[in-house]
Amino acid sequence: MDKSKVLLAAIGGLLTLGLVANAGAAPNNKMDMKNMDKCFGIAKAGMNDCSSNKSAHSCAGQATKNNDPMDFVAVPKGTCDKIAGGMLKTM
Amino acid sequence: MSALQADLNAFGRAIVHNDEPSFAITGNYQSYSSLVAMEIYRNNYRGNLHDVLAGAYPVIKQLVGDDFFRFMTRKYIERHPSHSGNLHHYGADLAQFLTTFEPANSLVYIADVAELEWACHTAYFADDGATLDIGRLALIPPDQYENLILHLHPSCFVVRSQYPIATIWQSHQPGACSNFHIELDSGASIALVNRLADVVQVTEVAADVADWLDFLQAGEPMGSATEATLANYPDFDLFCALQRLVTQQLLTKIELREKK
Repeated sequence: MDKSKVLLAAIGGLLTLGLVANAGAAPNNKMDMKNMDKCFGIAKAGMNDCSSNKSAHSCAGQATKNNDPMDFVAVPKGTCDKIAGGMLKTM
Repeated sequence: MSALQADLNAFGRAIVHNDEPSFAITGNYQSYSSLVAMEIYRNNYRGNLHDVLAGAYPVIKQLVGDDFFRFMTRKYIERHPSHSGNLHHYGADLAQFLTTFEPANSLVYIADVAELEWACHTAYFADDGATLDIGRLALIPPDQYENLILHLHPSCFVVRSQYPIATIWQSHQPGACSNFHIELDSGASIALVNRLADVVQVTEVAADVADWLDFLQAGEPMGSATEATLANYPDFDLFCALQRLVTQQLLTKIELREKK
């Protein structure tokens, strides 16, 4: 197939549509800016929030010494139960 | 090395690697020994990094359950000390770690899901990019189309897997139906990650479009990127691919390659 024809058809088509898509883009951007204001400086939900114990930087601390006997937990027990097939099938 | 530096290094090793604390950093407290104080410090160190990983890998955490996740991250934290003052950088190697983490061996897809989650995490913190004004394309003379270089948004990532990782990811998002069943044999998937209006989204993308995006991200101009994609996928639809870039606001900038 002729490469320049492909480019011409695709970009030409986009430009025809583009005017429509672009008309919608401006208010969208404004909305993004609003969200930006609200979220500026704030990280992911639940993170970076010192008062929360989900915090990535848990200022509240874990004022216990570490002896958590976690080493026996060697089997995944979560939603992986709902995913079947793959290698497990051949075992 | 200064005495302070030596003490800090010894303290760091004691916390991260469980080494015996050096004589210089032992001291006495009223209510507990310095060894207990060190253990409290170490527990906080691990606890913070665990929480960081839980924040970056919420899907993995749900897949394996809270207890296994704590066990798994504990092993990761032992082998991968934090190398950045910015905790959002921590956890980049989890996918790699999971490929050799035996207790999770039965979950053959887990490393791929971790790779996808890291892409989402990175996309969340990626730089902003202004959406391209499509009107600028109209200013390019058509005989220059093949020299066009398209710049994609910094939050744009493509993650490939032989397992349906995009479906797995979507089934674990807040508000998704918890009563799902996924067959791993339902096929490979290629996930396209990008951030739109401060929200990270994961969509699926066909193999031809993914390859084309790779070429663009490598800086190939439209002509050669499209030609190389068409060579492998004669049915590649450039118009659809471009339209997708526009609707997902993945295009930030266009420029013309300098003529050699």
